[in-house]
Amino acid sequence: MTDTTNQSGHKPSISQEEVRTLPSGETEHFFDVSTSDLEVNMGPQHPATHGVMRVLIRCDGELVTGAQPHLGYLHRCAEKIGENVEWLQYLPYTDRYDYLAAMNNNLGYSLAVEALMPALEIPRRATLIRMICAELNRVASHLVAIGTYGLDIGAITPFLYCFREREWIQALFEKICGARLTYSFIRIGGVFNDAPPGWLEECGHFCDVFDEKWQEYHDLLAMNHIFIKRTADVGVMPLKMALDFGITGPMLRGSGYDFDLRKDMPYMAYGEAYEAGAFDIPVGTGQKGTLGDCWDRFYVRVEEMRESIKLVRWCLDNIEDGDIIADVPKVIKVPAGEAYVGIENPRGELGHYVHSDGGKVAVRCRVVGPSFTNLAVLEDMMPGTLLADSVAIIGSTDIVVGETDR
Amino acid sequence: MDFQAIHDRLQSIGAPGLTGSDEPRPANKETKDKGRGGTPFVLVEPAKLSDFVRVCRDDADLQMDLMIDITASDPAVDSEDLWVLVQLLSTTKRHRLMIKAILPKANASLPTCVPVYRAAQWNERECAEMFGITFEGHPDPRNILLPDDWIGHPMRKDYEFPKEYHGVSCE
Repeated sequence: MTDTTNQSGHKPSISQEEVRTLPSGETEHFFDVSTSDLEVNMGPQHPATHGVMRVLIRCDGELVTGAQPHLGYLHRCAEKIGENVEWLQYLPYTDRYDYLAAMNNNLGYSLAVEALMPALEIPRRATLIRMICAELNRVASHLVAIGTYGLDIGAITPFLYCFREREWIQALFEKICGARLTYSFIRIGGVFNDAPPGWLEECGHFCDVFDEKWQEYHDLLAMNHIFIKRTADVGVMPLKMALDFGITGPMLRGSGYDFDLRKDMPYMAYGEAYEAGAFDIPVGTGQKGTLGDCWDRFYVRVEEMRESIKLVRWCLDNIEDGDIIADVPKVIKVPAGEAYVGIENPRGELGHYVHSDGGKVAVRCRVVGPSFTNLAVLEDMMPGTLLADSVAIIGSTDIVVGETDR
Repeated sequence: MDFQAIHDRLQSIGAPGLTGSDEPRPANKETKDKGRGGTPFVLVEPAKLSDFVRVCRDDADLQMDLMIDITASDPAVDSEDLWVLVQLLSTTKRHRLMIKAILPKANASLPTCVPVYRAAQWNERECAEMFGITFEGHPDPRNILLPDDWIGHPMRKDYEFPKEYHGVSCE
C-alpha cells in the first residue's frame, strides 16, 4: 500500500475506526475499509482539463488522497521567443498564452513595455478603447468559463447560451480588428485601429441586451438546484491557503477577499471609473454553502460579467474623439531598464517583467500567468474530496492550459 | 508605501541580506551612464533571500502577503552572474516590491522560499529547470514544464538547441 499522506500532511479522516451510540441505544461501528491506493490519470486528453494537461489522482476507493498536476504538454517557449524577436513582433505570441483573453494579454505586455518608455503619452481615446476591449474580452472569457463549467458537471444547455453572447463579442472584435480569437489589437503606444462607424453604438446595444441575458444565466445555471448541490461545499479554499499560494483574481475573491488590481492598484482609467462609481468588486459570501467553495468562485465570475458591462458603459459615456496611437516608430527601440507590470486578467494577475538593454530585442521577457499560480493549489485542495467532485474542483479553478505552460 | 518608504523601513528593521537598491535614473552623458527606466528594486544577498522575504511578509508595515512570482534572468552571454527576481505584493497596504539577488553562474544555488510562501514551489521548479539554479531544501525538485530527461537549461543565453530528441531530428 502506498503512503496516503500528501505533501501537506493531510490524511483522509475516513480510515479511522470509530464507535458511536445512536439515540436508540444501538452502537454503530465504523471500520477502516481502506484498500490499496489506485492511481487514476485524468488527462492528458480528458475534456474537463480544458486543454492538454494531466492530473494524476491517487484515490482510496472514492476518496482522493493525492493529486499531482503534470504540465508542459503545451509548452511553446514563449519566454525564449521573447528574447529572440523584436518588441512588436512578440505581441502576437502574447495572444497565445491565455487565448480566451487575448486582448488582456496584449494589454499587459503593452503596458509593461510602455513602463520603460516614459516619453510615450497614450491618447485618451486609445485608453478607453483599450478598456472597452479588455472588459468585453473579460465578459467573453467568463462566458466560456461558466459555460464550460456547467458542461463539465453535466449542464449542457447553458453552454450553448453562453456561446451565443460570446459570438456577438467576437463579431464586435472582428469588426474592430479583423480577428476573432488572437487579436494583436492593443499595441505598444495605443491601439492598432480606430473603432469603425457605428461600432461604439453597437457596443452600447450589446450592453443593453446582455443585461437581460445575464438574468437568464443567473436563473438557469447559478441558481439551479442540481448545480448548487454539485458545487456548494465542494473544494473549499480557505483564505489563508489562497494567500499562501499567491492566488489572485476571481479565485481569491471567491474566498471572500476584496482585492482587485483595477480597484486597489489602478492602471489606465480604472481608478477614475471606480471613483465615479462605475463598478464594484463582487466577492464570495458563502451564500449557498461554505465560504470559498466552488459555487462561490463560480458566482464571482457571474457577477463580474455584470460589473464589466457597467465599465463598458462608463467608457462609452466618456470616450471622446482623438488619436488612437502615440507616435511610435515601426521598429521600436526601448530605452534601457527593467520593469514589472501586473494587470487584472479574467483569471488573476497577469504580470510581465521586461528587461531592455536599449536595443530592438528584449533581454528577458518573463510572463507570470495566473492559471499557473492558480493551478498549484490543486495539490492541497483535492485531497480529502470525492473522486466525483474532482471535475467540479478543476473546473472551478478556470485554468487555460496555454497559460500554465506558455 | 512608495519604494523609498519601503526601502527605509527595510533598512530601519535591519532586513537580513539587504545590500542596496536601484532606482530608475535619467541618462548622464558626463559619466557615460545610459540611465534606466522602469521599476525600482532592492538588492539582496542570495543566501539570505528566504529570510528576507520572511521579514517582508511578517513586518507590520510591509505585510507582503502575496508572492506573485519568483524567476531568474540571464543578463548576457558573457555574464558571470544570474539574477533571481522576486515580485511581492501587499494586498492590505497596496504596494509592490521587486527583489533582485545576484548569484554566480558557477555556483548557482540558494535556499528555497517554499517554507515562507507555497507560491514559490512551482515557480522555483520552473526556474531551476530553465536556468540550472539549485534551490536548497525544495520539497519537490522535479522538472515542471520540460520532460524529465531534458538536457541543458534552455533559458540560459549560452544554451545550444538540441540536434535530435529521442531519435527525432530537430534540424
